[in-house]
Amino acid sequence: MTNTPIIETQQLSKRFGERQAVLDLNLEVPRGSAFGFLGHNGAGKTTLIRMLLGLTAPSTGTMHMLGRALPQAHSEVLARVGAIVEEPHFHQHLTGRENLRVIAAARGSEAMDRIEGSLRRVGLLDRGDDRVRTYSQGMRQRLGVARCLLPDPELLILDEPMNGLDPGGILELRTMVRDLVGEGRTVFLSSHLLDEVEKTCDAAAVIDRGRLIAQGPIDTLLAQDRAELEIGCGQTHLALDVLDGHPAVINARETLDGIRLILTEIGAAAQINSTLVESGVPVFRLEPVRHSLEQRFLEITSRVGEAQS
Amino acid sequence: MNFDITRRMLAAEILKLRRNRTIMTVACLLTFGMMALTFGYDAIQHASNPTQHGPAGGLLGFGRAVKSLGLYFALLAASLIGTEAGTADISSGVFRDLVATGRSRLVLFGVRAPAAILVTFALTGTTFLLSIALSFVLAGGQPTPSLSLILQSAGWILLCNAVVCAFAVGVGSPTGSRGATLVTVIGWQTVATELLLHIQSLGSARDALLTPGLGQLMPVPGDVAGISMAAGLAVAVVAAWAIVPTLIGGWRTQTTDA
Repeated sequence: MTNTPIIETQQLSKRFGERQAVLDLNLEVPRGSAFGFLGHNGAGKTTLIRMLLGLTAPSTGTMHMLGRALPQAHSEVLARVGAIVEEPHFHQHLTGRENLRVIAAARGSEAMDRIEGSLRRVGLLDRGDDRVRTYSQGMRQRLGVARCLLPDPELLILDEPMNGLDPGGILELRTMVRDLVGEGRTVFLSSHLLDEVEKTCDAAAVIDRGRLIAQGPIDTLLAQDRAELEIGCGQTHLALDVLDGHPAVINARETLDGIRLILTEIGAAAQINSTLVESGVPVFRLEPVRHSLEQRFLEITSRVGEAQS
Repeated sequence: MNFDITRRMLAAEILKLRRNRTIMTVACLLTFGMMALTFGYDAIQHASNPTQHGPAGGLLGFGRAVKSLGLYFALLAASLIGTEAGTADISSGVFRDLVATGRSRLVLFGVRAPAAILVTFALTGTTFLLSIALSFVLAGGQPTPSLSLILQSAGWILLCNAVVCAFAVGVGSPTGSRGATLVTVIGWQTVATELLLHIQSLGSARDALLTPGLGQLMPVPGDVAGISMAAGLAVAVVAAWAIVPTLIGGWRTQTTDA
C-alpha cells in the first residue's frame, strides 16, 4: 500500500463539448514527495485537479487517490486531502478564522480543533480576526494553505500556489512545502513557474495540450538525450581543429572563454581532455552543461508541438 | 453523517448570513423598521383624528400586522436572505472548496434553506413580538388578540418565511447569481403574481400561485386577491412551492460542475 502511487490515473480523458481538455493521461505521483505538475496555461492542469477532487466528472478513464478508486471513494479520500483549486476563494465579509470555520464545519470536529494551528503555521494568527477583504493576495494564498491543512492531509493539491506571492512569500512557501514533505505528506504542486518547481519538487510531470508528455524525477527530466560539455581553454582555434572529426564529437563551437561541445555521451569528456592536452591546448575547465527545467520544458513542449503540426 | 457535523454546518451557514451586514441591515429595515413605521403612522393618524381612524393596535391592528408581515415584509426579507443562502457559496467561489472536502453536495445544499429560515425567523419573530406588544399597547380599548390567535399567526408567519426561503434557495442554488435570483423571486412574487391574480380569465389556474395559497391559510381575517380555495388545496400549493424548487436546486447542485 505504501509503495503504491498516491495519485494514479489511467487513460484519463475529459472533453468539454468539442474541446479535448485532457487525453489518455497516465500519471503516477509517488508518495512522500513534492511533485510538480507543469504545463502552459490551458494545458489541462486544472482540469485534472478538478477531476481528482470530484468537481467535474471524467469523460473516460480511471483515477485512484490514496490507493482508492475514484469517484467511488471520494468522501473517504477527500477527508485526507487538502486542496487549492485555481486561486483560493473566500467569503469576503468573513474573517480568516471564520472562513476556516466554514470549511472545518464540513470536515468535522477534528478540523475545528486545527484552525488555530493552521493559522499559526501560515503566519496569520494575528490577522485571523480581520475580514478577508482586507487581506493582500499573498495573505489569501497563505489562508488557502491554512485551509488545506485543516484535515491533517496526507496529500496536498496546490494549484498555482505561488501566484501573487512576493519573493519572500515564495521562499516561505517553498520552505513550507519541503517541511510538509518532511512530515511524510505528499504535495502535488501545479505551476507554470518552472524555476520554482525545479527548486521545490522531487519529481514532476509535463502536460501539453491535454497530453502527458514526460514524467519522472527532476534529475531524470533534466537529463539530455545528448551530452553537452563546456571547456575553458586557450587556443580555441587549435582546439576546434584538433576535435574536428573526433568520433565522440557531434558539434563544436567557440565560446567567450573556450569551446562548447555536443558529445555522443558525457563519458567521452576524459578522452576529449586527453586529446586536447596532448595537442598542446591549455585546458583549465571542463563542465557538463546543465539545462534548467525551463529549457527542458520548452524543448519538450515545442518538440511535441512540431510533431503535432 | 452525524448530528454534530450537521449542527456545525448549520451554524457555519448561519454565521455566513448573519455576518453579512448589508443583507442583515436591509432585512431589519424591511421587517422591524417597516412594522414600527406602520404602527407609528396608524398611531399618529388615530391621535390626530380618532373618529375617522381607529386605534393602531387591537385585534384589527394585529391582523394588519400579521398579514403585512407574512405576505409582504417578511417575504422581502426571506427573499433576500434565502437568495444569499442559495448563492453565497457559488458566487464567492467557496463551493468548490466545500465539495473538495468530500462532503456530499446534497448535504451542502440541504443546510442552506434551514439556515435561511432560522435567520429570517429571528428577524420576523422579533418583529412579530413588536407587533404583539404594539397591538396591546395601542389597543385603545378595542379587543386584543387571544393567545391561540397569536400562536396560529406565529406558525403562519414561519410558514411564509419557510416557503419563500426554500423557493429562493431552490432558485439561487443552480444559478449562483444573487441578482438574477433576487429579480426572479421578488419579481415573481410582487409583480408577476399580482398581475396574474388580476387576470380573471385564468380562473382556477390562479389557485396554483403561492400568494392565494398562503392567504387561504392566514389565521387572521382578511382577503387575498379575492381568491378562496379549499384548505387542503392551499396546503398542497404551498408545499409544492417549497418542494419543487428545492428538488430542482438539489438536483442541479448534485449534477453541475463545481
